[in-house]
Amino acid sequence: MILVQLVADGLLLGAVYALLSSGLTLIWGMMNVVNFAHGDFVMLAMYIAFVAVTFLHVGPAVFVPLAALMLFGLGVGVYFALIRHVMRGPMLAQILSTFGLGILLRYMVFWVFSANFVSLPNRMAGGVLAIAGLRLQDSRLLAGLMALLLTVGLHLMLTRTAFGSRLLAVAEDRTAAMLVGIRPDAMQALAWGIGAACAGVAGALIALFFYISPLVGDSLVLIAFVTVCLGGFGSIPGALVAGLAIGVIESLSAWFIGAAWQDVVVFALFLLALWLRPQGLMGKA
Amino acid sequence: MLLEASGIVKQFGSLRAVDGACLAIDRGEVVGLIGPNGAGKSTFFNCLAGEVRPEAGRIIYKGADITALSPEAHARRGIARTWQVPAVFAEMPVRDNVMVGAFLRHHHAPAARRKAEEVIAFTGLAQQAGAPAGSLGTLGRKRLEIARALATEPELVLLDEALAGLNPTETAAAIELVRSIHAAGITLVIVEHVMAVILSLAQRAVVFHQGKVIAAGPPAAVIEDEAVIEAYLGARFRRRSA
Amino acid sequence: MKTRVPLVLLGLAALGLPFVLHEVYYQRVAALVVLAAISASAWNLVGGYAGQVSVGHAMFFGSGAYGALLAYTVLGWPPIAGAPFGIAAALLLAVVVGLPTFRLQGHYFSMATIAAAELIAIAVGNWKLVGGAAGLMGPAAPRSIADLSFRSPLPYYYIFLLVLTILLLITARIERSRLGFYLRAIRGGERAARSLGVPAVRTKLAALLVSAGFTALAGSLYAVMIGFVDPESGLGLLVSVQMVIIAALGGAGTLWGPLIGAATLIPLEETTNAFFGGSGTGATFVVYGAIIVLISRFLPGGIAELWQLVRSRRRLRAA
Repeated sequence: MILVQLVADGLLLGAVYALLSSGLTLIWGMMNVVNFAHGDFVMLAMYIAFVAVTFLHVGPAVFVPLAALMLFGLGVGVYFALIRHVMRGPMLAQILSTFGLGILLRYMVFWVFSANFVSLPNRMAGGVLAIAGLRLQDSRLLAGLMALLLTVGLHLMLTRTAFGSRLLAVAEDRTAAMLVGIRPDAMQALAWGIGAACAGVAGALIALFFYISPLVGDSLVLIAFVTVCLGGFGSIPGALVAGLAIGVIESLSAWFIGAAWQDVVVFALFLLALWLRPQGLMGKA
Repeated sequence: MLLEASGIVKQFGSLRAVDGACLAIDRGEVVGLIGPNGAGKSTFFNCLAGEVRPEAGRIIYKGADITALSPEAHARRGIARTWQVPAVFAEMPVRDNVMVGAFLRHHHAPAARRKAEEVIAFTGLAQQAGAPAGSLGTLGRKRLEIARALATEPELVLLDEALAGLNPTETAAAIELVRSIHAAGITLVIVEHVMAVILSLAQRAVVFHQGKVIAAGPPAAVIEDEAVIEAYLGARFRRRSA
Repeated sequence: MKTRVPLVLLGLAALGLPFVLHEVYYQRVAALVVLAAISASAWNLVGGYAGQVSVGHAMFFGSGAYGALLAYTVLGWPPIAGAPFGIAAALLLAVVVGLPTFRLQGHYFSMATIAAAELIAIAVGNWKLVGGAAGLMGPAAPRSIADLSFRSPLPYYYIFLLVLTILLLITARIERSRLGFYLRAIRGGERAARSLGVPAVRTKLAALLVSAGFTALAGSLYAVMIGFVDPESGLGLLVSVQMVIIAALGGAGTLWGPLIGAATLIPLEETTNAFFGGSGTGATFVVYGAIIVLISRFLPGGIAELWQLVRSRRRLRAA
């Protein structure tokens, strides 16, 4: 029974990983830029949730869309101010720019809120749901299901709508897309907006059950990198499967080996997978 | 016999790109590989260069089996290649690009530089020797690819569409360059789309179709061959109906 | 030999710097600049010249730092005597991690190096024998001169300067040799390089070994000077990132880039720290982040690019 419980917990956490990695993989796959600030986007969303709850006294129905909207704006802004100019430059300049951005965001928050850990009040989705012998925290259940829904929705949007095909057309071939009247700049800005909004929703959801600090993005972004590499960059179904798998692996290894070692297991499996299959597990060869 | 490839098979997923192709090349020959798009000539070419490892078949070069050797081992043994899409080291000056090739036989910089200057003069790049390779035009890049390959002092040079994308004047200049390489005693294998180039350069044309060699012989005779016409026309017909 | 004159001047300036900077504070900053320049220059061999952007060099730095302090805590030796062990461990790591990882291209390579370094950092943090999360301390008071424990930053400055000089000489030598050409060719295009006879894996590994060795030495020197290391300061992600940032900021793949980067970034960090009253407020890093963003936006090739811009302008004017 404990196994089923652990797997269920892992899947719920994994769905959130999948959503936050979807944002990263969308940007990565579309313009081959790795957003090292992605974890700090998540962190920012967590503080947005914190401020909304503390000062505006609103619930997740308000602060999740709010975080999505604000992060969307941030993503578009970052694209036009920064990414557009460095994306075709050397890879190092790209790394430098998004890493610098991450440091900037992180310490702006640090400046305002200090390094203290905060968290949302417990009464927010603080119950426990018991079904079929499983005990699932409401907060994690809500986060996991919403994340799963949005990840699937994002995938459907990319594959089933005209907007999605325009987006993918730009990823495939910029020039050809331009010839059929698509504005690559607008599409890429939107991709950044959507990617950041994914981080925003994921962050707001994680805030429901996780502590909040300016440095919290660090460990999350590493998990997201692993997810994206394993899923194959650009692939949202890949991110979903890899995210769920990592959630379960973390949950199991935290129980059987100890919480301190859960990331070691994830990183070790990741390295093994990369060494054996350099193109990612589901990526195209 | 300089090189002998027999029974080469290479599969990509469900597609058998090369399906038992054979080819023998004599020292001093200029061999043209032709065939419709997707006929497998590029994959076969990459097998010869060590870039792609065939699933079956053997490639014997100067009496030794080189089928499974790495690209760099091919270079060491005297097989050099150029790339269909020029792959020059854009940030490095033209001279340094050529020196990378020259370092294969000359381990010290001054000797490598002397060799590079010699090849640069031979390929007509002396004017641009100090410029970054990224600043060259198409013809310049193709010349540089050839220069880099020659700097490794090869016996066999594989040219992958070295003349594609050039205008008529440039093509004439490039054909001259290839002729002079042959005159210097180097054996050449050319993959080419433009039939006129094969007619004017190659002593022997080898026609690929569906991963197999379907005809070989003097270029002028080969293009009259029934099977060859069928392969080209068939391909064109299929493409139109697709 | 005209080109040697600026070099000699630079050397003299470096030697004489402490006589101009009387205050201990500035001397300390100068020593930290040189130390940062060592590890960034070492990183530059792999990340700059060969274009293999490692974001996991902290594992080598940490090997050196832990090697030094373990020699003290376990064997009671002077910390610097542990440096050879740290370097040996780093070389071993370079082979074990480098060989499989070098098959990966581009971002995948960077991600794998991050994961390897993080894995080691977490493992060390959970391992009591090597200090765990609390870390290791050096000798509280110097027992002999061999402990290299000095009040003044000056001895450190000169030791670091010596190591940096050796590393820069080696780098300059590599730059002009076959290895240097091969490394740049790999950065320019690995497939093309291999077709010209460049043994890619062996070449990258050779660069990584030199790089890892000097990064570990920098780690040992850091531990000797600071007398403390923990997983965060020795093996943390920011340790790796700082090497990347300093080299990229100054100009990756150039001889002087890492030194320029270190001479820019470290004093900047220290000044903003002083200005905002310690690193407690985070304002330092806001400025730090902003400057990194601005440079990547306007000088994608690093500060060394400025120099090239000036030079080509001058050449244009001359023509």
